Amino acid sequence: MAGAPGLTGAPREAAGPTSAATSSKGPGRLARLRGAALILPGAGWLVLFFVVPLVFIFIVSLGSRDALDRVTLANPGFDNYLKAFEPRFIPTFLNSIRFAAITTIVSLAIGYPIAYWISRYGGRHKVLLIILVMIPFWTSYLIRTYSWIILLRDNGVVNTLLQAVGLTHEPIILMNTDISVILGMTYGFLPFAILPLFVSIDRLDPNLVAAGRDLYASGRQAFRHVTLPLTMPGIIAAALLTFIPALGDFVTPDLLGGPQTTTIAKNIQELFLAGRDWPYGAALGFVLMVVTLGGTLLALRTLRREVIGGE
Amino acid sequence: MSDRYDGSSIDLEKALTRYMVERRVTRRYLLERIALVGGAAALGPVIAACTSAGQSASPSAAATPGASAPESVAPTATPEPTPVPTPEGELNILNWTDYLAEEVVKSFEDKYKVKVTPSYFSTTDEMYAKLGDDGGDYDISFPISVDVPNMIEKGTIAKLDKSLITNIGNLGKEWSDPGYDPGNTYTVPYMWWTTGVGYDPARITGDAPTSSKALWDARWKQHISMLDDWQEVFGLTLIQMGKSANTDNTADLDAALALLEQQKPLVRTYSTDTIGTMTSGDIWIGHIWGADRFAIQETIPAFAYYIPEEGGVKGSDTVATFTGSPHPIAAQLFINHLLDAQNSAANTNFIYYMGPNAAAKEFIDPAILEDPTINPDQAIVDKLEELLALEQSVRDEYLKRWQELRG
Repeated sequence: MAGAPGLTGAPREAAGPTSAATSSKGPGRLARLRGAALILPGAGWLVLFFVVPLVFIFIVSLGSRDALDRVTLANPGFDNYLKAFEPRFIPTFLNSIRFAAITTIVSLAIGYPIAYWISRYGGRHKVLLIILVMIPFWTSYLIRTYSWIILLRDNGVVNTLLQAVGLTHEPIILMNTDISVILGMTYGFLPFAILPLFVSIDRLDPNLVAAGRDLYASGRQAFRHVTLPLTMPGIIAAALLTFIPALGDFVTPDLLGGPQTTTIAKNIQELFLAGRDWPYGAALGFVLMVVTLGGTLLALRTLRREVIGGE
Repeated sequence: MSDRYDGSSIDLEKALTRYMVERRVTRRYLLERIALVGGAAALGPVIAACTSAGQSASPSAAATPGASAPESVAPTATPEPTPVPTPEGELNILNWTDYLAEEVVKSFEDKYKVKVTPSYFSTTDEMYAKLGDDGGDYDISFPISVDVPNMIEKGTIAKLDKSLITNIGNLGKEWSDPGYDPGNTYTVPYMWWTTGVGYDPARITGDAPTSSKALWDARWKQHISMLDDWQEVFGLTLIQMGKSANTDNTADLDAALALLEQQKPLVRTYSTDTIGTMTSGDIWIGHIWGADRFAIQETIPAFAYYIPEEGGVKGSDTVATFTGSPHPIAAQLFINHLLDAQNSAANTNFIYYMGPNAAAKEFIDPAILEDPTINPDQAIVDKLEELLALEQSVRDEYLKRWQELRG
């Protein structure tokens, strides 16, 4: 879970000076204890808000419903997991993967240049620029999603503009399409990509790039062989921070999407609310969680070995 | 990282649930609007015609409750032969805002010397949370009929004392034995509404549509919406096929699914935000909750609504009292009070929903009675079907097909 290099990197760095200071005074045992104490709040948070709910979901997923739709663990079993693999969830699962993947790629493609620019050319305005990236978070996600409707609907801003310019005569259908969903999701998750990218680009020592240039690398070569590999941890962190929540998103596809954009998360929500079948919904949710987690770990491992060269 | 994923998705789910529920609830929230704007837009001419005789020039809709007041001066015809037990001095009501005429509460307070304390909720979730397992501190509330069987089984709703509810005979015959509460043993119906089809006449040209098949008309391709509600969507389709909206026959459900699969390429969105999609111009004709039309008419005054000629889905709220009610006698008397013909009419005149009260009709504002979308012809009323709380296994069959459709 805490596999993102950007996340583990920061605490490690923070813990570094502390342990160095204590090691000058006494042996490492006390330092290790202190280190453990420092981890406690974070670990406690993870256990309380991630592990415990996950265990709870797993337990519920083994149960069934009584006549009043209450969860009962009278006959625990894995029946719900069999039902979680019914074929009707395949298209929605593929939708989720597709939307999350496109959102991630587009976010990285847009986010990397932005982060790079802020880091290299932001100068004393860096903090301000990063705050600007964060500002959308001050507004409710629902409201931000709704503003896309105002832009994209048939008589919305975009269509009015296109018609005024004379590019089209009839409104182009933008709302309730794949395009509107991907626009909305990319917009929503872009800051998740920019922040870790910024951190890793900003930490990159410009002298390393300069050294590359000294060795007759072109600007492009220096970027490919120096900047890109060294910021890869940030790219991976950004990709994960975008892909994982995007995979579970159903609000955006629900509000901006159409009949073809249903996601697996929407199916899970329906099993809980419309179906009032918590165990079934929990099983499907747990499967999604395991798939996400497994995929993430696998991706991390492969990327670390191949790209970073075993960190 | 995954904890972040988990956390944010729960947040969003909550937000969405709240949003969905509130949208569904808008119809109630809109009641005040109906009186102010919808009344003026939809019923304005009719009301004006009816009230111009002696009324002042004040906003016509606002004047209508007053218009019926003089008629209610007539002495109450309710006989009370058996001595009524003395009610407790208080009554706690949990209600939607603007869902009960003030004059009805006032007349109850005066008649029985009971002090009524109203409390309000804005979503059904909030209502059920406040009621808990035995009604909490509340004596009276208004559960949606579909939720009634569950609340009876859980022991939340208390049985009615029919000896105190002498006005029960005022109910129309179609309400005397509802599917959700046979024989009205635990609840009495309060108000009812319909789900149907709404359209923008500027876009839907040609003959005015009367059938739900208009939602399958290829001419409106990409401008048709269906509610994001499996029971409503299957209900409309089944009724169009001449089947019961609550069928448990899987062959019927398969046939309905096939029809809906045919329709899907024409559908722009499955959404409960019909107010948003209609007013934005994206949707020209859609499956909507009847009361949402008033809000849409604020933007599109000519917006039309109809109950499909094949029949439609109706929904209703009930009045109930609870096993933990602190003032049980006052509660029973209040339910009886609501069933009084004039009181029921006063509520309809205030809320713009029809009540189930056959005896009330003569006291209801003619403008409401003449609006076929609020008070449909008996022939249509006979074809309206209430969505019931389906048995678990049946519900699963619906949901499975719904997810197949949406996938």
